[in-house]
Amino acid sequence: MARSNEEGAMWSIFGYLLSGLLVWGGIGAAIDHWVMHRNHWFMLVGFLLGMGASLYLVWLRFVKE
Amino acid sequence: MRAFAFEGGFVPPSTADFNLPPAFGNSEFTTKPILLVFLSVILISVFFILSSRKAAVVPSKLQFAGELVYGFVRNDLGKEIIGAEFMRFVPLLFSLFTFILTNNIFGIVPLLQFPAMSHVSFPYVLAAFPFIAFHYVGIKKQGLGHYLKGIAFMPGVPKAVYILLTPIEIATFFLVRPLTLSLRLFANMFAGHLLLLVFIMGGDHLIKGVIGLKLVAPFSFTLGIVMTFFEFMVQCLQAYIFTLLSALYIAGALSDEH
Repeated sequence: MARSNEEGAMWSIFGYLLSGLLVWGGIGAAIDHWVMHRNHWFMLVGFLLGMGASLYLVWLRFVKE
Repeated sequence: MRAFAFEGGFVPPSTADFNLPPAFGNSEFTTKPILLVFLSVILISVFFILSSRKAAVVPSKLQFAGELVYGFVRNDLGKEIIGAEFMRFVPLLFSLFTFILTNNIFGIVPLLQFPAMSHVSFPYVLAAFPFIAFHYVGIKKQGLGHYLKGIAFMPGVPKAVYILLTPIEIATFFLVRPLTLSLRLFANMFAGHLLLLVFIMGGDHLIKGVIGLKLVAPFSFTLGIVMTFFEFMVQCLQAYIFTLLSALYIAGALSDEH
């Protein structure tokens, strides 16, 4: 039980981190593409924001309980 | 990659090696992966029908083997993870596990030697089953509104933070979960098959070279054999992880709070 739960938790965490990066990095990249046209600062901000948010989410789901 | 290969040089294996021509006829439906998938279904059916037909209290070797696989999926994946209602999902988990395991192991069975899962369309379809199953179960158990609310809104968070978290939650449940499920299986099988191709084809090329190269060829073949055993481990592990995560997702949808 413990072993398979750890395995599952690992992949759930991986999923959260990945989708945090995808969603907010994607939103940032979209802003860069449609609004800023030249540089990629919003994508960078989006990645950092997504990373932070998904880490927070992982903490909420797996540490706090 | 093939464009860079010069006359007599080593042609490294590439994605082109995965697009096999039709085994017979001229149809897209008679290629090796598709035939292997049909073969796997026949093999699984025959094995489990034979092993359960003359079920006895004192099991024969065949019945014992069949029950070992079934018991593993039922108890270690179904009962342990899903809990009280696990029996409903054992057929799904059992089919997924045996089907993926058999097709993966085809990757190292002599003459067959091709994992169908290294074509990404097979894992996509396979991931659709647990994806539909866990959403259906969750909606049926909790009601559509309550289920979606449980996914999108984590309890115990200030309201402003939902702007950050809700898109991530929704993307995780509806996009990343089926995608990681299928791509993990695909990538492992693809990379494993490519690895074996590199060592075996490389050894084959070396042994046809000058004497110095001939001496190194055995090392390449040896590593090819070592990697075959390593692949066997990966193939079993991937079938296990796919089923395990399917069970975990179903268990998550069944429990009230996420």
